[in-house]
Amino acid sequence: MNTGQYISGVAHIGLIGWALIGGAFKPAPEPFEVTEVAMISSEEFEAMIAPTEAPSLETDMSALIPPDSETAEPEPPQAEIRDSAPVIAEPDEAAPPPEPEEAPDVAALLPPDPPAEVEDAAPVLVPPVEAPVTAAPDISDRPQTRPTTRVAPEPVAPPEPDVKIDDIAQEDAVDDGAADIQREQQEQTAEEEAATEIVTEAEASSSAPSTSVRPRTRPTRVARPEPEPETDTGTKDAVADALAQALAGDTAETTTPARPSGPPLTSGEKDALRVAVQKCWNTGALSTEALRTTVVVTVQMNQDGTPETGTIRMVDSRGGSSGSANQAFQAARRAIIRCGARGFDLPADKYEQWREIEMTFNPEKMRIK
Amino acid sequence: MMKRFLTLLAALAALSLPIAAQAAPLRIEITEGVIEPLPFAAPDFVAEGGTARQLADDLAQVVADDLAGTGLFRQIPDSAFISQVSSFSSPVQFADWKAINAQALITGAVDLQAGGRLVVKFRLYDVFAGQELGQGLQFAGTRDGWRRMAHKVADAVYSRITGEGGYFDSRVVYVSETGPKNDRKKRLAIMDYDGANVQYLTDSSSIVLAPRFSPTGDRILYTSYESGFPRIYLLDVASVRRRVLEDQQGTMSFAPRFAPDGQTVVYSVTRGGNTDIFRMNVGTGQTRRLTSAPSIETAPSFSPDGSKIVFESDRSGTQQLYIMDANGGEPRRISFGKGRYGTPVWSPRGDFIAFTKQSKGRFHIGVMRTDGSEERLLTASFLDEGPTWSPNGRVIMFTRETQGAGGQASLYSVDITGRNLKRVKTEGGASDPSWSPLQN
Repeated sequence: MNTGQYISGVAHIGLIGWALIGGAFKPAPEPFEVTEVAMISSEEFEAMIAPTEAPSLETDMSALIPPDSETAEPEPPQAEIRDSAPVIAEPDEAAPPPEPEEAPDVAALLPPDPPAEVEDAAPVLVPPVEAPVTAAPDISDRPQTRPTTRVAPEPVAPPEPDVKIDDIAQEDAVDDGAADIQREQQEQTAEEEAATEIVTEAEASSSAPSTSVRPRTRPTRVARPEPEPETDTGTKDAVADALAQALAGDTAETTTPARPSGPPLTSGEKDALRVAVQKCWNTGALSTEALRTTVVVTVQMNQDGTPETGTIRMVDSRGGSSGSANQAFQAARRAIIRCGARGFDLPADKYEQWREIEMTFNPEKMRIK
Repeated sequence: MMKRFLTLLAALAALSLPIAAQAAPLRIEITEGVIEPLPFAAPDFVAEGGTARQLADDLAQVVADDLAGTGLFRQIPDSAFISQVSSFSSPVQFADWKAINAQALITGAVDLQAGGRLVVKFRLYDVFAGQELGQGLQFAGTRDGWRRMAHKVADAVYSRITGEGGYFDSRVVYVSETGPKNDRKKRLAIMDYDGANVQYLTDSSSIVLAPRFSPTGDRILYTSYESGFPRIYLLDVASVRRRVLEDQQGTMSFAPRFAPDGQTVVYSVTRGGNTDIFRMNVGTGQTRRLTSAPSIETAPSFSPDGSKIVFESDRSGTQQLYIMDANGGEPRRISFGKGRYGTPVWSPRGDFIAFTKQSKGRFHIGVMRTDGSEERLLTASFLDEGPTWSPNGRVIMFTRETQGAGGQASLYSVDITGRNLKRVKTEGGASDPSWSPLQN
């Protein structure tokens, strides 16, 4: 009996072992193969892109790549550049793929564009010579700007459609022959539409008006009479005599009739000059650092109120680097030249008072608009 | 004695008066100005040799489009020109350009040489100052690279006038979307910043999300559902080869972003229902856990100097922005406004943090200082999200999705001031933009 049990046991163990080791319980192989799609070999990739014609890179283009990046980024052997936006390559429209399912998309993948070569050498140029200023013809087709792109200290309503945009608003003056006084013909001009601050989309969506209803009040331009110098005519002492004598002697030597000095400018006259310059002081294209830079600029003025453009100098700056100060100075210089082209409205009898002007351009209020 | 002294003193004072009066200039302070686009003229570039007329015109137009597209400049149409530029070396008639209020003038020339070599040169003039602004530059390359050369010219002009770096010679990687909302195909795509030269980096067999450029623009991190779970992949742009970066079983990893060193990556891992932020060395694969709170911490973004990380967390009960050291530590909350804040991105200049805000049923893209002050919302719509900075930190690009079953995602850009909000040209739908650095 024991012998039979042993034989039976050995036979069963052998049968079970054969079933396990021999693969009797293994499932039948699936009728498809699993392909790793996450990675493709470099040979496959290069084989796929090889048929495409690509312009070769110039050898000296590597001049654009800094030395430290050359080791990190191997230069692609070939590159294809498209002149225009390519059509989206759908999977079944692509080039012959090595693998039916994945290749169409992969075939559309292209190495990046090669960098263009940069040569720092400046091209030869004849020094520009400004031609004599001639009368500018009327420009019929002036560029029209988007009305909401301008921000000014005071809001400006949209001008009439046919009115020429200019820095200075002028009425239309036409010689009708009826008036006694002949006036020079003048085309009507108006200032460009402007708001007082930038309104973002988020702010506008809260039903905020695009043009502020809170314009800043302009300072009252009341020309206050300058206080007369107090002179005590009742006493004639030696000091007054000497002062009068010295002043008389100096005046006879230095003052010329062509340069009247007059009393100092009134606050209203100064304010008018300030308003005239700020109309042309455009800080829209300045960097944020330049908008933190205050520059002090001096300019020599001609007697007709126009600035001598060659004399505009930056004498001081604060708040930024030299680069940002230079950008801020350029904007200030443009403001002086542009709005001074017709001559600032300055009292001719006080020429000596404004023969040299020092303007401080402080952009503090222009940063958050 | 006293009388004589006073006489002498008075005489000296009187003599000095005219000198002082003459020496002291009139002083005024200008504190108010205008903010408007600066008008510029960009006449067609000169086709030297006469072989590249069309190319010269196209190149000048791309330069003009780049500049005008910023909202900081305004192109004066050719029809307003009084004089033309027939030779690159001829003197500039400043009076003619002043008369049409062109404050900047760009002249250029294109020379298509034998063998397809293209040389582009340009000069920039400050018209009212009557002088050149900087020195002329020239670029050379193959004809096919003409758009990049135009972008480089525009970058130089932009930089010289504004004083800050340009961003035109850059690229954007994004998720291209096609098909209806319930069966949307998503592929990684790369394009020039202006939408030209689109190239695809992945197929549409699996969902891809949130691509992010490396600091040098040569690699891209992104999240893919290729394995069924979100996994982070690292893709080499030059070869289009990729590899799984983080693959722990039973976890989900997403929201990756490079550190400024280009070797460290921060990302989120969800394990057992909790989401925390980790960092990894790409070369060694060594990881380190940065947060361990039971709340959801995600969307990490490094400061430009690599010392801080801004991220979003709901540890306070609502989704807010926090800053912690790059190696972890106690975070500091910086957003306190009403609503939910997310997807913070540190500006490359380090001065601002852009974010998405959800408030009162609307989404906004906004900016705030790194201490949370000066918060300003720049946009408002049904769904705005995922801001990315231009290389110069001046412009933000983001995703805007329209409402409804037929709604589609598009890319938009806006100036940091809130001006110049506009759609970025793409083929079909697009989302999740990431702006590259300037190309070399």
